[in-house]
Amino acid sequence: MVEHDLQITVSSSPHLRMPVTVSTAMRDVIIALLPVTLVSILLFGLYALFLIAVCLSTAALTEVLFRRILNKPVTLHDGSALVTGLLVAMLFAPATAWWTAALATFIGVGIAKELMGGLGWNRFNPALFGRLTVIMIYPLFYYVTEAFGLLRPYFGPIDAVTQGTPLAQMIQGVNLPPLNQLLIAYPGGSLSETSALAVFIGGVFLIVRKHITWHIPVAIIGTVAIMALILGESPFYHILAGGVMIGAFFMATDWVTSPITLQGKFIFGISIGVLLMLFRVPLAPTEGMAFSILIMNFFVPLIDLATKRPKFGEVKEKRFFSFLKPKPYSYGAQKQS
Amino acid sequence: MTVKTFYRGIFLPHHKKQSENKPIEDIASPKEVVIPLHQHTGAPCHAVVEVGEAVKTGQKIADCDSYVTAPTHASINGTVTAIEPRPYFTSSEVESVVIKADTNQSEPKWVERDIEKLSVDEIKEAVREAGIVGMGGAAFPTHVKLSPPNKIDAVIINACECEPFLTCDHRLMVEDAEVMVEGTKLIARSVGAPKIIFGVEANKPDGIEKLKTIIDGNDDMEIVVLDVKYPQGAEKQLIKASMGREVPPGKLPFDVGVVVQNVATAIAVYEACRFNKPLYERVLTVTGDAVNNPGNYRVRIGTTIGHIIEQCGGIKGSSYVEDEIDTGSSEVRYPVAALAHLVGKIVLGGPMTGWAQNRLDVPIVKGSSGILVFSPELVSKTDHIACVRCTKCVEHCPMFLYPNYIGVYSETGRHELAAEWGAMDCFECGICVYVCPSNRPIVQFVRETKKDRAAHK
Repeated sequence: MVEHDLQITVSSSPHLRMPVTVSTAMRDVIIALLPVTLVSILLFGLYALFLIAVCLSTAALTEVLFRRILNKPVTLHDGSALVTGLLVAMLFAPATAWWTAALATFIGVGIAKELMGGLGWNRFNPALFGRLTVIMIYPLFYYVTEAFGLLRPYFGPIDAVTQGTPLAQMIQGVNLPPLNQLLIAYPGGSLSETSALAVFIGGVFLIVRKHITWHIPVAIIGTVAIMALILGESPFYHILAGGVMIGAFFMATDWVTSPITLQGKFIFGISIGVLLMLFRVPLAPTEGMAFSILIMNFFVPLIDLATKRPKFGEVKEKRFFSFLKPKPYSYGAQKQS
Repeated sequence: MTVKTFYRGIFLPHHKKQSENKPIEDIASPKEVVIPLHQHTGAPCHAVVEVGEAVKTGQKIADCDSYVTAPTHASINGTVTAIEPRPYFTSSEVESVVIKADTNQSEPKWVERDIEKLSVDEIKEAVREAGIVGMGGAAFPTHVKLSPPNKIDAVIINACECEPFLTCDHRLMVEDAEVMVEGTKLIARSVGAPKIIFGVEANKPDGIEKLKTIIDGNDDMEIVVLDVKYPQGAEKQLIKASMGREVPPGKLPFDVGVVVQNVATAIAVYEACRFNKPLYERVLTVTGDAVNNPGNYRVRIGTTIGHIIEQCGGIKGSSYVEDEIDTGSSEVRYPVAALAHLVGKIVLGGPMTGWAQNRLDVPIVKGSSGILVFSPELVSKTDHIACVRCTKCVEHCPMFLYPNYIGVYSETGRHELAAEWGAMDCFECGICVYVCPSNRPIVQFVRETKKDRAAHK
């Protein structure tokens, strides 16, 4: 018998691939985060470095642990766990107790991502989910902090001024740091709040590399500016202080948890901006960005349905809110006709 | 130069340099051909010859009573040695006529006819008898396309060749432009179209120049230069770009008064009407980074891929000698083990829509536009992961569908939802898979949904 089968790949068309994979995209996100990471390390020194190291290693360990428990292949090479870890680190102030950040990473990677089905299935941004969960259960930590106080490493004084976030100062009416410092480098707040410019450079890099589009950042920042003007606040402080920059460029643009169509991305961004200003001005000064993004994450499937585009050559149904009308529910039941 | 195009789609690397300036060459006639009896869309043919019968080049060997079908012809002089299921490029087996070549391979003598005197019915009859099908890949019987149920305003000749690597239509346009224009006139006459449009992508300037000199002064003919974007050569996208008309979902080009034909098909129509010459050979591009002499070759239908690759200088780095690879006899022997690490993939058709092969005794058919031989480096071997909703497929989909949802729903067996997000309107251009960072085989998912929906109808 003659051997006919060549031992070569036979797969469905097409047979060409673009050289962009999830791994290369995640690598680019890490590169995009480098400027702000470096600025924060310059300002906070070992405190920042230690926090980042804790978050990265927790993220990697959590992913391995959960993947082992769930009996799935470990996919550390796609880099998504490391990105989540780095993003969580960016959300904490340098003097934060390290176990707080580690817990946030664990919740983000383990619960918000892996238990939701892994990368691609998570409904909420893992980094923000972890951060907010920790913030909400923080009162419980009061006694734990006392007990674990000895485990807090001491790398010397952080800076001449170890103060609260500029955002809190702004809302409380305390003396404000000058705008140019907020833009370039200011030692206050979380790691990502140190330099709006560095975050912006990273975001532009992601847009240039075509990993994200400009729609969500522009919609968020534009809405924040307009809302600030309407509410009689300074738009510059609202944009440069707090989490607006990192949120607009790195959190809200997360592939998995943002809408699909460009139209939907605009709606998503504008909603986040409006929610943020509603949280910030009348309510609490901090965490507005994180809450706004997580709330809008929840509405993404609805936005996707509402902005469903017509097919090529199809005329779109003009009725407003037509996406809400009930559809014949035939899923699962085979029609016999 | 202003170029027209459609909305969305993608700019692909061309990969055409290595074969676009190579003139069309004939390759040595094979010792054996395997002619599948169902190479077209529609009803399969039944053999009208018997085992042991002697056949001549161009002799009809299979036909069918049904309307949507195309007869098949012998492509060499020889003897029928078998009528049996043989491997086919879609990796199933298809009833085929196997012909062993005679030593006498004389060309049949063609009687010239005056094409101006042919009536519309005579043209259609000639096209049907010649077994002409769409030679761009879909292989839809051409005589059916020439009998549209409503009024036709224009015939569009699809000279886009938007798939990377392929250059055979480009070469045909440069070398046989007059014949192509004559064939197009016949097509336009048979459908009663007052206008002819040649849609050419801007990366074929020599072809456009040639066409311009031929149709100069003709008001009813027009050249539309199109952007080099994939899938510019897809019927609906071509009609949108060149005429601004949109074919609604589920409809065909004739619903908007247009007939689209491929360059090679127009030439085949001319040959069928002028000489009564059936479609038993075609031009295809043999290329890829693992073949020694890439180029454009005129090949008999039913020639095996192995024979063609061997005639094109063989696979780079392979050391087989003539008697080691003998694709001509029924006892085929290949240096299979030696090839496995030199070739990553062999594709019949274009790189975006073609079919990967794992045997060398698969014959080429009327719709085969190329043979691509890729080295292992060009082939991605990583498995697919979950959709990460990066929206690249949604941004580029030329049919404005949602490949991401189609993929997710089809993969989990919810074919009804996949169909709701547009799976049935997909023409499998492959862009979604090309751009996917998760390497998801969405085209395969779409095919599964189509199969499932067809079964539940």
